Order: sequence, then structure tokens, then C-alpha cells
Amino acid sequence: MKKINFDKVFSFILVSLLGLFIMKVLYSVAGEEAARFTADHYISYGVDETGAINIITAILFDYRAFDTLGEATVIFTAASVVALLLPRHEASMLKTEFTPVVQQSIAFILPFLWIISIFLISYGHLSPGGGFSGGVIISAMSILIIFTYGYRYMTRRFNVKKLSLIEDIGALAFLTIGLAGIIAGGTFLANSQVGIYPGTPGELLSGGLMPLSNFAVAAKVGTGLSVIFLSLARED
Amino acid sequence: MILVFPAIAILISMGIYAVLTQKNMIRIIIGISIVESAIILLLGAISYIPDGVAPILDQPYDTVVDPLPQALGLTAVVINASTTAIMLALVIKLYNRYQTLDIHEIRKLRG
Amino acid sequence: MIEIILMLLILLLVVSAAIALFSKKLLNSIITLSIFSALLVIILIIFQAPDLALAEAVIAAGITTSFFIITINKTEGVN
Repeated sequence: MKKINFDKVFSFILVSLLGLFIMKVLYSVAGEEAARFTADHYISYGVDETGAINIITAILFDYRAFDTLGEATVIFTAASVVALLLPRHEASMLKTEFTPVVQQSIAFILPFLWIISIFLISYGHLSPGGGFSGGVIISAMSILIIFTYGYRYMTRRFNVKKLSLIEDIGALAFLTIGLAGIIAGGTFLANSQVGIYPGTPGELLSGGLMPLSNFAVAAKVGTGLSVIFLSLARED
Repeated sequence: MILVFPAIAILISMGIYAVLTQKNMIRIIIGISIVESAIILLLGAISYIPDGVAPILDQPYDTVVDPLPQALGLTAVVINASTTAIMLALVIKLYNRYQTLDIHEIRKLRG
Repeated sequence: MIEIILMLLILLLVVSAAIALFSKKLLNSIITLSIFSALLVIILIIFQAPDLALAEAVIAAGITTSFFIITINKTEGVN
């Protein structure tokens, strides 16, 4: 018993020293007018150059689109690792189904979830949202179906093979959009520097290739998280 | 608005303390998840300029908050969910092998 | 006025994180993690970051909580 108490006291002292150090560092960063040159350029010229009103979507899909490619790779790796690691075994949860009241309510809500996700994806450059939020709502739909209707009902329609096929199509579409920048004479994933139809800001069809990128990333994120959940809940 | 920074330091310290001393493996994963959420709060708090508006420019505003940490934080949120999913898959594999969630028991057995 | 609300919310955030980490039952920890994410979403809206708040709301309240519940069901470690 004595050894366990000594461990707890020692780690408490270490952790409080770390907390004080972090607080000191954060206070010296806090009110500083640090280098905001890049942010000033994005705010002043972002709407004219890219044609998108939402500056965050313009940063994520036009100025720094390579980071979005890295994040899509992280989701792809996580889905592959989870689908590889987990065996199938007999579980006890998913044999308990819900009453028909819950099933009918969820069946009523599901089309509205589709509408919300497609609205968030296609209006990504005009209002808060974008490809990430819409894609995650699509994967939340598949989680709802597994919880209320059972695992067999879901895998009769969409098993892991079909969902990962859609995920691969999304990733390849994003890469093809990047190659279109090279064909037009600029760099990889160049959207506005080569002048691909900026359009008038405020319309739905503006911002160059940004709506297509939004759809590709949403397909990848949504089906990737669905594959992760299907592998975690696998039985038999 | 300046009160956020001590709270972030306390949250990071509590998360690391839970990773060091808790016995249940799922509590350790909850501790890591709290550290990651505190970093998201830090990214949101650094980008704030007093009396600024959200960076959606349907008409030109005077002071707009900094959009760059928010864009990188959006990527960080999705990466947090992915790493939490991988950690939970490893916990399920460990439970299938050793039939316990107590980390001191697993350290004693050593396969 | 909004300073007082922000201070209250930050205090509640730290208290709910403490309850999530140091409580006796495992199921209480997971539900309190979901409450922690909801408070984080409101604080991010006060800091004028709508994109971050939307993504954090959907992911941390829906996806991460259901991952934890599926894991607890597979391991039966309700202790």
C-alpha cells in the first residue's frame, strides 16, 4: 500500500509543475500582436481571389489544400487499422432490438438528416459547415441504423466492402481535382491561382473547384467513420 | 477572456494525471481525450480579437477574428476522433487476450 | 454580462472534467464526457468560431460517445 501512495504523490507534484509551466508560457503568448500578416492578407484579399465567402473553407480547400489531403490520409489509415485489428465474435448487445415506436421515429428522422448533410456540404463556401461536418452527419446516420434496426439489417445493404469502395472513389476524386490544377498550368491543388472560374461571391456556383472538393472530402470522411463503427460493432 | 488560460493548464494537467495514475484502461483513454479537447479550446481562444466578428464576410467588416488557427483546429477535431477509435480497438484486443481491464493485472501477467 | 457567463461556463467545464476522470462508476464517466463536449461547444461559439463549434458538436457528442459505448458493451467492464 505504501508504494502506491508514493506514486500518486510523486505524479501529482510532477503534473502541477507542468501545469505551472504551461500557464507561464500561455500568459506570455496571450495579448501579443504577433505576426498576423498572413491572416490580414487572407481577410483582405480572400473574397476577391477565391470567390468564397467563408474564409475558413477558402483556407482549407484553396490556400492550404495539402493539409486537407493529409487529414484524409489519417482517416483512411485509421479505418484500415481498425478493420484489420478486430476479430468477429459473438456479442450480446445487438440482439436487443427496440420497440416499434423508436423504429418508426428514427425512420421518420433519417431523410431530414440527409437533407441537412447535403445542405451543409453544398453551401460550404457560403455559411459555416463544409465537407467535414456534412460527412460526419452521414456517418451518424449509419450509426443510428445499426442501433435501432440491428447489425444484420445494415450489412445486408452496406457491408464494409461497398463502403470502402465509396471511400476510395472519394479519395481518388480529390486527387483528380488536384491534378486539374497541374493541367491548367499551376501547382498541385491550385484552385484560384490559375483562375478556374471564381464567379461572383455569394452565388452557389462560385469558388472554382471548391464545391467538388467538398463533396469528395465528405464522401471520404463519412464512409471512413462508418467503416470504423462497423468494424467495432462486428458480430458473427 | 483572459481567464481561459489557467483553465486550459488545469485541464491538461488533470488529463496527464489521469493517464499516470488510473487503473481502468477506458479511464486512461478518457484522459487523453480531455487533453485533446483542451487543445481545441486553446486554438479557439488564441484566435480571438476583442470586438471581432466571425470570419464569414458577406459584407466588409472592421475587425474580423483570426481565421488561421480555426482552420487547423477543424482538422484536429477529426484526427482526435480517429486516434480515439484506434485506441479503443486496441483495448478490445487486450480484453480478448487477458480477460481484464485492469492495467496492473496485465503488467503482472506479462503474456 | 457575457464575462460572467463565460466565467461560469469555464468553471463548469473544469468541474465536469474532474467528475469524468475521478468518479466511481464507468458509465458516469462517459456521460459526463458528453456533457464536457457540450459545454466546450458553447464556449467556442462565444469565441466567434462557428466552424469549429459545428464540427466539435457533431463529432464529440455523436461519434466518440457511441464508440465508447460500443467498447463497454464488448468488454463488459462495468465496474
